[in-house]
Amino acid sequence: MMKTNWLLGAALSATALTFVASPAAAATKFEFWYGLSGDLSERVQEMCSRFNASQADYEIVCVSQENYENNLQNTIAAFRANKQPTVTQISDGGVVDLMLSGAFVPVRELMEKNGYQIDWSNYFSGISSYFSTSKGELLAMPFNSSTAMFYYNTDALKAVGFEGAPQTWEQVEKIARDLKAAGYECPIAFDPTGTWQWFEQFSAVHNQPIASNGNGYGGLDAVVEFNKGKFVDQLGWFKKMTDEGLMVHKSKAAGETANDAFTAGKCQMSSSSVADHGSFAKQAKEGVHWDVTVLPVWEGTERHNSLVGGAALWTLKGKTEEEYKGAAAFYNFIALPAEAQHWSTITGYIPVTNSGFEAMKAAGFYDAAPYKGRELAIQSLTATPPGEYTRGIRLGNFGAVRQEVAKAMQSVIFDGTDPQKALDDAAARSNEILRKFEQTYKGQQLP
Amino acid sequence: MERRAVYRNKVLPWLLIGPQLLLVLVFFYWPTSQALYWAFTLEQPWGGGNLWAGLDNFLYIFRDDRYWGTVLRSAFYALAATGLSMLVALTLASFVDRALKGTKLFQSVFIWPYAIAAPAAGVAFRFIFSPEAGLVGAVNDIWPGIWDPATNGMHALAMVIVCHAWLGIGYNFVFFLAALQMIPRSINEAGAMDGARPFRRMLDLQLPLIAPTAFFLLIMNIISSFTDSFGLIDTMTEGGPIGQTEVMVYKIYVDGFKGLDYSGAAAQSIVLMLLVIGLTFVQFKWVERRVHYN
Amino acid sequence: MIERSPFFDALTYAVMIIGLILVVIPFWVVIVAASQSLQEVSRVPISLLPSDQLWANLSEAWARADLGPKMLNSFIVAIGVTIGKITLAAMSAFAIVFFNFKARMICFWLIFITLMLPLEVRIVPTYAIAANALLPFQVILDTFGISWLVQAVSGIQVSLNWNLLNSYTGLILPLVATATGTFLYRQFFMTIPDELAEASKMDGASAMEFFRDVLIPLSRTNMLALATIMFVGSWNQYLWPLLITTDRANFGTVVMQLKALIPAQNGTPDWNVTMAGALIIMLPPLLVVAFMQRWFVRGLISRDK
Repeated sequence: MMKTNWLLGAALSATALTFVASPAAAATKFEFWYGLSGDLSERVQEMCSRFNASQADYEIVCVSQENYENNLQNTIAAFRANKQPTVTQISDGGVVDLMLSGAFVPVRELMEKNGYQIDWSNYFSGISSYFSTSKGELLAMPFNSSTAMFYYNTDALKAVGFEGAPQTWEQVEKIARDLKAAGYECPIAFDPTGTWQWFEQFSAVHNQPIASNGNGYGGLDAVVEFNKGKFVDQLGWFKKMTDEGLMVHKSKAAGETANDAFTAGKCQMSSSSVADHGSFAKQAKEGVHWDVTVLPVWEGTERHNSLVGGAALWTLKGKTEEEYKGAAAFYNFIALPAEAQHWSTITGYIPVTNSGFEAMKAAGFYDAAPYKGRELAIQSLTATPPGEYTRGIRLGNFGAVRQEVAKAMQSVIFDGTDPQKALDDAAARSNEILRKFEQTYKGQQLP
Repeated sequence: MERRAVYRNKVLPWLLIGPQLLLVLVFFYWPTSQALYWAFTLEQPWGGGNLWAGLDNFLYIFRDDRYWGTVLRSAFYALAATGLSMLVALTLASFVDRALKGTKLFQSVFIWPYAIAAPAAGVAFRFIFSPEAGLVGAVNDIWPGIWDPATNGMHALAMVIVCHAWLGIGYNFVFFLAALQMIPRSINEAGAMDGARPFRRMLDLQLPLIAPTAFFLLIMNIISSFTDSFGLIDTMTEGGPIGQTEVMVYKIYVDGFKGLDYSGAAAQSIVLMLLVIGLTFVQFKWVERRVHYN
Repeated sequence: MIERSPFFDALTYAVMIIGLILVVIPFWVVIVAASQSLQEVSRVPISLLPSDQLWANLSEAWARADLGPKMLNSFIVAIGVTIGKITLAAMSAFAIVFFNFKARMICFWLIFITLMLPLEVRIVPTYAIAANALLPFQVILDTFGISWLVQAVSGIQVSLNWNLLNSYTGLILPLVATATGTFLYRQFFMTIPDELAEASKMDGASAMEFFRDVLIPLSRTNMLALATIMFVGSWNQYLWPLLITTDRANFGTVVMQLKALIPAQNGTPDWNVTMAGALIIMLPPLLVVAFMQRWFVRGLISRDK
């Protein structure tokens, strides 16, 4: 039974060989894999349906891969097997690997070839600096962009006599102490695996180098330097705050995420992406009042712009012209002002273009709840023009480097390792990762 | 244990074994040989090229104390989970073998864990051992912070091992019971006649006779501690906290599939494969040559 | 038993009861938690008595993890693997044990070694194979210049392609390729006395007749045991289906859904729904083992006293 099936299958496909039948007049199907789940995933699905309904030539099939990490892994596995989707959503962490792989079609080339006019200079400089070549050519279609923000419970802060939004870490520490004294069990929710908001964004806002060569933009021979700057003290501060019970460990592993603890009113302050603004509004428990502000800085520090987070859409090589036409049409669709504004409204992701933001601001979008506060993300992203250490991070296999920093943070918080030692260790391992990456792509240059 | 093989035919055995060989070649040897190749090269994550690296990948992992930590942890995991599971199963089997009234009921329940998927058990045990939920976590109400697998690596590892051992009880129990029931009754009777007490008879007469089964189980358990541990760890701890529940298989998965270091992971696979093949080979010789009974 | 010893009997029961508790506790916890409401399940310490929310939680888990179609997929895969493996394993074990051919030991080891290297560690290349199961043959054809020859002669470009991603075949075949079944059959066939085969030979029966008329009937209990093992094993597969089904909605299996049911993926710590889901997912293999138990145990014992 099995045997005959197998042989039959083999024979059939062998005879099918290469006489590729010309596709019927039906709509061209192409796949789009993305790394969002839950609420955000449903929003993407709605967007896909709207695109399919808007025209008859193409049909996009949108597949959720749960999270960015899974999506990257599965896309790579599929690409190697020549079964890749036409469009995939890759986050900041995977950019360099993709850049050097030559596995994609640059978005600018794709759009020009298919006759779409896009004003590329209209995109936020923070976004383009993350996803462009050194010559400024945008490689991927900006899609969902965000930055890290600081969320706080307005009632709790009022209860300890703090008015307005905390702007400095000194204020945050004082509020936390007052809250603790007033009987709040969890002043600040802290996830020690959250390197993006607690480490990368901290470094950018305080203009601290994460790696030499301008955070890696200058070439693949960059070495990490996060063990030399202010982050060492910051990690020590996290430890002190945790030991005093002012910061409380909240994570998936601990059974409750920081976001959940915050929206449930159990924790009074937290740091997370502006993209969560939409779901916080939805999930916050009855009676939990909260607001959002830019990330705090230490007193006496000049605030620099924070990093763009989120992901962009990459078009992968090896598909047919028809599918590329579909992908271009889809990009054109999501860049339509109305569509872009809708996407930003329902999620919390920032509008990715200057004109989009200005239009929304002019229309009064940010003036009232529930959207008030989101404009602070733009303020945070544009606090200063992107500089050497605030335009992004361009390190090979950055996901693995992140893991090392996360391990260092955890070992300080859980096991009481000395911050300097933990970060030195993480830096040494990160550098080995970077050297291995450099070795793997020997002789290649960042585009 | 050579059989005086009875059929001679040039074509038939190949027809019989062909389908399986074909499947094994396609789904096992082909991918494995590719991994083998990667171990000696630096493979680009997105494909598209690699560089010959000689033994660099191996030297790299052997120089890495974190890797050795994983090896030691895997050995500890394998021994602890296997030992615990086999001990419990053997004890239960020995007593069930006495066939007292009502034993059948116990016997059938003892097999149950065998049917459970590792990830399902992982999810259940994660709840049981969850520090914030009301079972084991209840001790935290009495002594705050005494049990916390989310931050304490030893706790997390113990939790995974206990779950793994529990999962193995059913399988080990069946085999032990089978082995015990195969011991000819006369041996036991002779022992009783010599005045040996039941407990003595268990230790002196029965245990040596089930040695082959015990060795067979040892192989199977160690193999399962390498494979089944994946579903458990992935649902219970994802290797954390701070990688303190990463065993060899999980590290290979994390480094290769998540960390995109295909070459390093491939080198680790080779080491693991050699290790397990070596172990099995020794065990095999032992079971089939040294220990005979009937 | 040979003689009665009241003390030892009491000890026997005591040990068996302790064992029973050890084994049953996790099941009990799952059932109890699955029957409680969110408030009850969040209580510390938790009550170990079932409550009345079982049905609500089961249907919530069923809907949340979309278990209906996933259940069907799991059954298709488990049954496919079981049938495939029993057939292939019996055939190859027969060849290994009862035939004298040169490569016999090599074949045995070739198959047996596959037990040693779990799928997890060769996941990426295996995925590539699943995307085109005929890839090795293509490479062979290319290396020996055969494809070039064919193209030169007939103008047809040879490209063998057989995609197994997102298909039942892809979920089933690689699992059929493993060696557990072959190994168990071999162990059983080894216990068949040579005389039996000799006798069948004297009667003028061919090898295949011996296989069909003597070995298969003899190994019926073993086959049931093997079927149980295979069914349970393939039902419980986790990583492989997780990897090769990008189309989860249509080809996902139930065990893959477990992680989606863990709290902290969805907001509230509703362990009651998680446990209800786990209960549904662990039930089919548990029932199979419970029902097949008699044959399962006997098949593994393989000899009567």
